[in-house]
This record gives sequence, structure tokens and C-alpha cells, in this order.
Amino acid sequence: MRFLKSAGSEVIGLFVADWVQTAVIVAIVAAAWYAISGLHAMPLPVLVGLILLLAAQHVWFAVAEARRDARTKPLPSPSPR
Amino acid sequence: MGAQLFTFGAAFLGSAVESVEALTIVLAVGLTRGWRAPLYGTVAALVSLAVLVVVFGQLIVQRVPESSLKLVIGTLLLLFGLRWLHKAVLRSAGVVAMHDEEHAYQQTVSELQGAVSRRDWVGFVIAFKGVFLEGIEVVFIVVAVGGTSKYFPEAVAGGLLAMLVVAIVGVVVRKPLARVPENTLKYAVGIILTSLGTFWAAEGMGASWPFDFVSIFVLVAAYLGASQLAVMLVRRRPVMA
Repeated sequence: MRFLKSAGSEVIGLFVADWVQTAVIVAIVAAAWYAISGLHAMPLPVLVGLILLLAAQHVWFAVAEARRDARTKPLPSPSPR
Repeated sequence: MGAQLFTFGAAFLGSAVESVEALTIVLAVGLTRGWRAPLYGTVAALVSLAVLVVVFGQLIVQRVPESSLKLVIGTLLLLFGLRWLHKAVLRSAGVVAMHDEEHAYQQTVSELQGAVSRRDWVGFVIAFKGVFLEGIEVVFIVVAVGGTSKYFPEAVAGGLLAMLVVAIVGVVVRKPLARVPENTLKYAVGIILTSLGTFWAAEGMGASWPFDFVSIFVLVAAYLGASQLAVMLVRRRPVMA
């Protein structure tokens, strides 16, 4: 049972590290899909937008995690005099 | 030909990184408790993984319509690649510690030394679990890269060759492959998988890329640029007082 649990969380962990980031990526892909398939928008501008948004969220979430990490890390203890 | 090579290369590199991690666990078990049980565990895990590849590979290639397949697998590949890339950026910027096979090896060895009084199946289970769980990522890479691009045999060949090369090197060296630039490899594979995921997801939406497969190189350049920008911004972040 423990093995199945860890296999299950391993499979989810393949795709999800941060649920918010995952939701943002899926939303970007869904918006591009809707623009092309639903609204019949010109594909090239949508593709350019898709790449830019995916690249931008990548930068945003990396910087955000680094900031979170800096806030939560304990301050270095003062050096002995 | 270019697309076939790219598929083979992506499957090879991704599988090699995961195989190094699996090898570390098998070596730790084998050198601590003897080789028979971990080898049985490894073989059992490899057979289970092969069944997964055959079953899912065939199901995916034969049953799912091509556009849905590209959209779903492309999106999953995108999520998978971006997760690797995200970690690689944080490691490159010094926020997260570099993955260290020597450390992982020592940790497994110390866990096993605490369990010496148990029977030999411990070695079997630990090797099986390590190879199977690391191998799930190999299976996903091979199925996603091969199933979507219609170059399934090339992807399977890339994955198998990677495992074989890592296993041979492991048998020869008989210690964890700490010198493999694992973090750099993960960075590169993250960019390749993210680019392939974007490419296929967009094709699944019904869009066709200018210059077809060649546009993947533009995607690679875009994600490389973005991740370098991320590393630069993370390194420049203000130190909290």
C-alpha cells in the first residue's frame, strides 16, 4: 500500500511541483486552444503569445520561489566576537 | 531524419539522467548487502516498466486520435519539462542544492546498514522501488516523445540505449556516477522537453508551425533565453534583512 501511495505521488509529482503554476500553465494552453479552435484566430500570433506567456510564467514562478525561499530561510547566526 | 534524431536524443538524454539516479540506489544496495537480491529487484522493475511501455505505447498510438493525443501529451510534456527547468534554474542560481549522487548513495547505504538484521528481501524491495519509481519518468519520456512524434521505435531505442550505457558504466566503475553533469543534463532535457511539449500541444490545437519541425529550435532558444533571464533575476534578488 505504501509502495502504491509513493508510486501515485511520484506520478503526480512528474507534472506538478506547484499547483498554482500548473493551473497557470494549463490556463495558458487552454486559452491558446480556445483562440485557435473556438475563435478561429490566426495561428501565428496565438503561437507567439503562447510561447511568450509560457516563458514569462517560467521566469515569474522561478523568481517568486526564490523570494519565498529567501524569506523562509533562517538568518545566519551572528558571528562570535 | 532530423525529427527522428531529435526524438532519439530527447529520449536518450532524459532516460540517462533518470537511469543514473536508479543506478545509485542499486549500487548502494548491491555493495552493502550483496548483488543477488538487488539484481532480482532491478530485473523485476525493468520487466514491469517494459510492460507499461508496451501497454501504454500501443494504447496511445493505436486508440487515441492524433490531435487529442498531441494536445494532451504535449501539455503533459510541457508540465513535465517546465518542472525540470524550474528546478534547474533554481539549482543554477544557488537557491536549491545541486543533486548529489554521492550524497544520495551515502544516504541509502546508511539506511541499509540500519536494517542488516532483516532478510534479503529488503535489498530486493529497495532496488525494485528505486528502479521502478525512477523508471516511471523514463517510461513517460519514451511514451510521450515517441508516441506523439510517430517515432516510437526511435524513442524506445533511445531509452534502452541510455539505460544500457549507464548500467555498463555502473558495472565498470562500481561507484555512484557523481561526475555525470546531472544538473546540466536536467537543464538541457528540461528545455528540450518543454519545447517538444509546446510544439505538440500547439499542433494538437490545430495550428501548424512555420518551417514545421525546424521551429522547435526557435522554441529551444526562447526557453533557454527565458531560463537564463530567470537565473539572472534570481541571483540579483535582494537579500532579506
